[in-house]
Amino acid sequence: MPNPPQVMTARLSEREVLNAKFTQYRFELVLPTKIHFQSGQYVSMSVDPAGHRRSFSISSTPENDHGFDLFIDVEPHGMGVQYLENLQFGDTVSVLAPMGQFVVQSEDPTVPLVFVASGSGVAPLRSMLYDQLQKHGENRKMTLFWGLRHEADMCWTDDLKSIVASHPNITFHPTISRAMDEWPLCRGRVTDCLTVHEVDVTAEYYICGNQQMILDTIAVLVARGVPEGKIFHEKFY
Amino acid sequence: MTPQPNTPAVTTPNTMTGAVVEKQIGKYNVVVDRSKCISAASCVAIAPKVFELDEESLAVVISQDGNDDDTKLLAAQSCPTAAIIVTDTESGEQVWPPK
Repeated sequence: MPNPPQVMTARLSEREVLNAKFTQYRFELVLPTKIHFQSGQYVSMSVDPAGHRRSFSISSTPENDHGFDLFIDVEPHGMGVQYLENLQFGDTVSVLAPMGQFVVQSEDPTVPLVFVASGSGVAPLRSMLYDQLQKHGENRKMTLFWGLRHEADMCWTDDLKSIVASHPNITFHPTISRAMDEWPLCRGRVTDCLTVHEVDVTAEYYICGNQQMILDTIAVLVARGVPEGKIFHEKFY
Repeated sequence: MTPQPNTPAVTTPNTMTGAVVEKQIGKYNVVVDRSKCISAASCVAIAPKVFELDEESLAVVISQDGNDDDTKLLAAQSCPTAAIIVTDTESGEQVWPPK
């Protein structure tokens, strides 16, 4: 059962522009000084004095309990993105955290995990992947399907290549919907990728992306024999 | 949209040393717009004595006075779809979402 949320104050400590689409933010906690969350949970950040809040999934792992990372798609440039962009280093933010119930259900490493993301929806799944890797090492089979529009949107490439190279239990399927001719891997939407690769009906599936992507992915998985009870998705995207 | 009917601020008679004192428990009334609810359950996490998920996994109000006004407002503001409407029963104004 996830811990109940509480109001927390955190300070912006890092901002890394990964590419034109994604920026990663690092916040260090001020009060309280530690957060006990589960991979897949999110923070609800106050983004204006009127009380509007925006929800951002945590992309870092629970082991790092003195702060949290956010992985932000800056292209919509809505209220939340503008708020984050205007923060100066050292500025504090108010968040409610940890929030959400989108967490890994089975801690049994013999149950494989499949993560299916589009765009910034990879944030909570990245946290889950690295957390499970820390807990179970090579004993748990995990697969990440990540759909992006352009090759230039790809990030964390070296990290992901490195863990795939060093862990035989990890498989990564990047999928590009508007790929250049020379792109050697899957093309199209992430659901297209799911239809051509093996689907393990014994695995748990975790989906995060926009609402249509979630519905389409569930439809593909169910059609391929995955029980609906083994499919989990974040609801606020 | 099927909003739940507004109810007045809760007043509880409280007997102390023979006198009847009227104690008001908050002035905010919350209503869930079920057509907007996506079952994120942030309201339940923040104000579990006011909100719960029903058999359809949609948020419902189980009590207006289970949590204090600030907590109720925070629960409403944390809803990703702004499905919770907060009204000040004294002024009649909608507190959240801002009009």
